[in-house]
Amino acid sequence: MKLLEVVDFGIEFHDHDRPEQVVEGVNFSLEQGGILGIVGESGSGKSMTALAIAGLLPRKKLKKEGHIYFEGKDVLRMDRTELRELQGDEICMIFQEPQSCLNPVMRIGPQVEEALRVHRKEMSAEERRARALERLRDVELTDAERVYDSYPHELSGGMRQRVMIAAAMVGSPHLLIADEPTTALDVTVQAQIIQLLKRLNEDEKLAILFISHDLSLIRQISHSVLVMQHGKLVESGPVERIFEDPQEEYTKNLIAAIPKVKL
Amino acid sequence: MKYFFRKLISMLLTLLAVSFIVFAAFAVIPGDAAVSRLGSNATEESVAALRAEMGLDRPFLERYLSWLGDCVKGDFGTSISYGMPVGQLILDKLPITLTMTVLSLILTVGLSVPIALLMCKYARSRFDRSMYGLNQFVMSIPAFFLGILLTWFFGMVLKWFRPGGYVSYKKDFGAFLGYLLLPAIAIAIPKCAMSVKLLRSAVLTEADKEYVRTAYSRGMSTMEVLYRHVLKNALIPLITFWGMTVADMIAGSIVVEQVFNIPGLGRILLTSISRRDYPVVEGIILLIAVVVLLVNFLVDILYRKVDPRLEDQG
Repeated sequence: MKLLEVVDFGIEFHDHDRPEQVVEGVNFSLEQGGILGIVGESGSGKSMTALAIAGLLPRKKLKKEGHIYFEGKDVLRMDRTELRELQGDEICMIFQEPQSCLNPVMRIGPQVEEALRVHRKEMSAEERRARALERLRDVELTDAERVYDSYPHELSGGMRQRVMIAAAMVGSPHLLIADEPTTALDVTVQAQIIQLLKRLNEDEKLAILFISHDLSLIRQISHSVLVMQHGKLVESGPVERIFEDPQEEYTKNLIAAIPKVKL
Repeated sequence: MKYFFRKLISMLLTLLAVSFIVFAAFAVIPGDAAVSRLGSNATEESVAALRAEMGLDRPFLERYLSWLGDCVKGDFGTSISYGMPVGQLILDKLPITLTMTVLSLILTVGLSVPIALLMCKYARSRFDRSMYGLNQFVMSIPAFFLGILLTWFFGMVLKWFRPGGYVSYKKDFGAFLGYLLLPAIAIAIPKCAMSVKLLRSAVLTEADKEYVRTAYSRGMSTMEVLYRHVLKNALIPLITFWGMTVADMIAGSIVVEQVFNIPGLGRILLTSISRRDYPVVEGIILLIAVVVLLVNFLVDILYRKVDPRLEDQG
């Protein structure tokens, strides 16, 4: 059984007079422990698709079509209670702006532990704390105790994204959805975060859905790639195939647009 | 620490300014304590004699400084009409007004938070809309009129209590609280409506922020997200409002005490003003100023507790 299987997925917006199709006929799948990169410009529907898998799209004003099977069960047809059992426990998500994604008036510790507080009610406060500290060290925050007691504004951008990853990983999920996780960070920090995600993928058999507009990042991290444009799937395949032998004109143009650095 | 020291100095300066203005006001406005005590038929000699006895014939600045010196020592003078030390008079009545204010504040905060969050959970639904309309309506009813309505309904229709009744806190604290509950409700309801309106919009603004989506991504329910994440952020503007409300409640209690026939500070303030019993009026106004300043100070501390980003700005 595939970990994630998206079948004929589509989204139609109903917030204006005329319905608007923003995602249409998207099919792809992701194996346990695989890394799938979704690349596309803004407005290509990649983030919408990611939010739908994480169950974070609003219920009103839009219509979701098709199926999103996670471990064999259709996320789109779950009720809220079933969905909440998956969220934060089996499916986790990190976002573009680690600054605004952390609650500014809450210390880091409780935010990292939160998924445990929601899903592992049997754990004591000390056990949760120990687990959170362990996870903070796992994401290479050496000063874990200090970070645990800090507020978000006291940390750097790279540290905040590490915190977000620690918070996502605290319950050992099967799937991590990373929506442009390095876009707001500077280049050296970006490379470190990519390395960290690759390591978590190898060490913990964590499947990652990596969403970016940046082809070179996608190439560094992904096992397979999905190219999207205007809400539709353009092309998909293993990462080498897509980059060495692109079939579609749009993919060729995207690859040609990667700045080449001569050494 | 430096911040609190600065704050303390500015509080003392404000208090000094208030004391001067209050004292000056009674020197300027027409009406004389000696005349009002002796009646308008008194001879000029007897008025002058009383004025001298009361120290009213001394120059203004001299009178102010000696009054201020006494105040610092804790002596606020003697009431002209009650013949009691002002300090003791106020201390006697303060627990009544203070209890009523605290009770109203508890009601305001305790009711507005769950109501606002419930409205936000069902934002733009029929429930939210009808609550919004009701809220707007309640907000526009003055506290004293609500007091009259409450007295009529609970006192005369349901006969749950005796209108105009009152038990001293020294005699039976439970019954005393019971008699203060309705006036506190009358004061609290309009304030509660305003809090609900402010809190609802603050919560809805916060609910669009990205950290809320993060919280949902961890599998939390809407109410959990609202209470654990959104509320603390949304309370930041509300703390200021509640701080101002306390000052307003003390002032508002003057009228509401009349409606419910409660012998609090408001009662003696009103009688003292009409009798030109200036030591009492000055004392009460100073007290209100102290309370307002203290509440503001408390709001500042609370602000820093809630929002850690302010702590670092010194």
